[in-house]
Amino acid sequence: MGIAGLRWVVVVGVPALIAAGCATFPDEATTRQIGEKMVNEGFTTNPVFAKRLVQDRSQQICSKIAGAQLTQQEAAEVVKLARASIQYPASGKLVGDWKVGDRLAHDGAGDRILRGKLEKRKENGGLCQNCHALEPGEVNVGNVGPSLTGYGLQRGNSEAIAKLTYERIYNAWAYSPCSNMPRLGATRHLTPEQITHMVAYLLDPASPINKR
Amino acid sequence: MPTTRGAMAAILLACFAVGGAALAQSDDPLGVGRKMLAEDNPGELWIDQGKTLFYQKRGPKNASLEQCDFGMGPGKLEGAAARLPRYFPDTDKVQDLETRLLTCMVQLQGFNRADIVKRAISPGGSSGSDVEALALYITSRSNGMTVNVSLSHQKEYDTYKAGEYLFFRRSGQTDFGCVQCHGEANKRIRLQDLVHMTDKKGAQEVASTWPAYRGAHFVVRTMQWRLTDCFWQMRLPDMSYGSDMSIALTQYLNYQGNGAVIRVPGFKR
Repeated sequence: MGIAGLRWVVVVGVPALIAAGCATFPDEATTRQIGEKMVNEGFTTNPVFAKRLVQDRSQQICSKIAGAQLTQQEAAEVVKLARASIQYPASGKLVGDWKVGDRLAHDGAGDRILRGKLEKRKENGGLCQNCHALEPGEVNVGNVGPSLTGYGLQRGNSEAIAKLTYERIYNAWAYSPCSNMPRLGATRHLTPEQITHMVAYLLDPASPINKR
Repeated sequence: MPTTRGAMAAILLACFAVGGAALAQSDDPLGVGRKMLAEDNPGELWIDQGKTLFYQKRGPKNASLEQCDFGMGPGKLEGAAARLPRYFPDTDKVQDLETRLLTCMVQLQGFNRADIVKRAISPGGSSGSDVEALALYITSRSNGMTVNVSLSHQKEYDTYKAGEYLFFRRSGQTDFGCVQCHGEANKRIRLQDLVHMTDKKGAQEVASTWPAYRGAHFVVRTMQWRLTDCFWQMRLPDMSYGSDMSIALTQYLNYQGNGAVIRVPGFKR
């Protein structure tokens, strides 16, 4: 087939295939449009809960499909947004009560929605146990995240470590953009005060997480 | 006869002793427990119930489901579930097993869609819903067959890609998409194993074990229930039963799971 013949195939062939309804994968923009429409119609909800379905800028960036890599620019944007989100407790004290933190770390409840009703509790649980190993020898713990056993033993409990720990819980993406860890403070799942108790649970030498 | 029985008892005891030793030595004591439970799956009981419901004349139109077309022709159930979700020209939609069943219960039997949906997911500890039993019976007619979801209609391509998009879509106060829990091997939430769905074997487990008997609930659960429960844990609102979103996720996962051999009811802790 000569050049002329090839051109004939390209010019006539491609539109003919489309006209004949040759099905194929939709492009990225179309996929997104279809997917977002499905989300909008996919839940029975009142407007109060519907805002949970809307992605913020960081969540959009962090929803890479099938192992697609974050660009450096995107990672930098996520970090910047995360840093800007962090608020500190009114008291200015970043280390609270490890006993309260212990309880929160083992509490996976709060704010779930069932048949239109919000799971209302005095406060939300910290969810830590779901994904992290905590006390030495504790069996009923998850492993989606890294082990926190001996967290304070390895790092000490300096002011700098307390600040870093507080910030990592408040918004993990300030240090690990798009990691699996929820931005517990930034999404308002936890309050700044609750986070100070979890910092204490991680750092206090008396905390069971630092048992030798 | 007594001698035979004695011998059998001795063999059983020997088996038990060997089994006990294996238990003690296992690296995965939880896995052993799960296997023991799965070997005597109470979910089997729901198959007969579903079969009865399928052939009974029911609903305002006093009709059975024998004329229901799950994609292989009216009443042809063998292998039908293995190819779902798929596009159906009469509804002009991609449908999974449960939404196709809904279509038939409404069109053939005259049931009210909202009424069925309201009861589709039964309370834990109950005797289960009609939809749960029917979904299990229909899927059981594909037992031993290979999952073979194909993409040919444009809406199948669209739904598949949307399902993939949704699997990775993060939202809500936990920042979770599906992949945050189901994207790596050997992960657990507390002690519950998480299926590694971005891996072929994990996707095959998803595609071939639902509906399943859920031990903690004492009932048979369907894929629609599984998705609903995930969204609940993710702190998202109530998933609409049979929503296009749920079908897209199922289409995406089942397609990844092609090649798996269907064995239902599955058994989940």
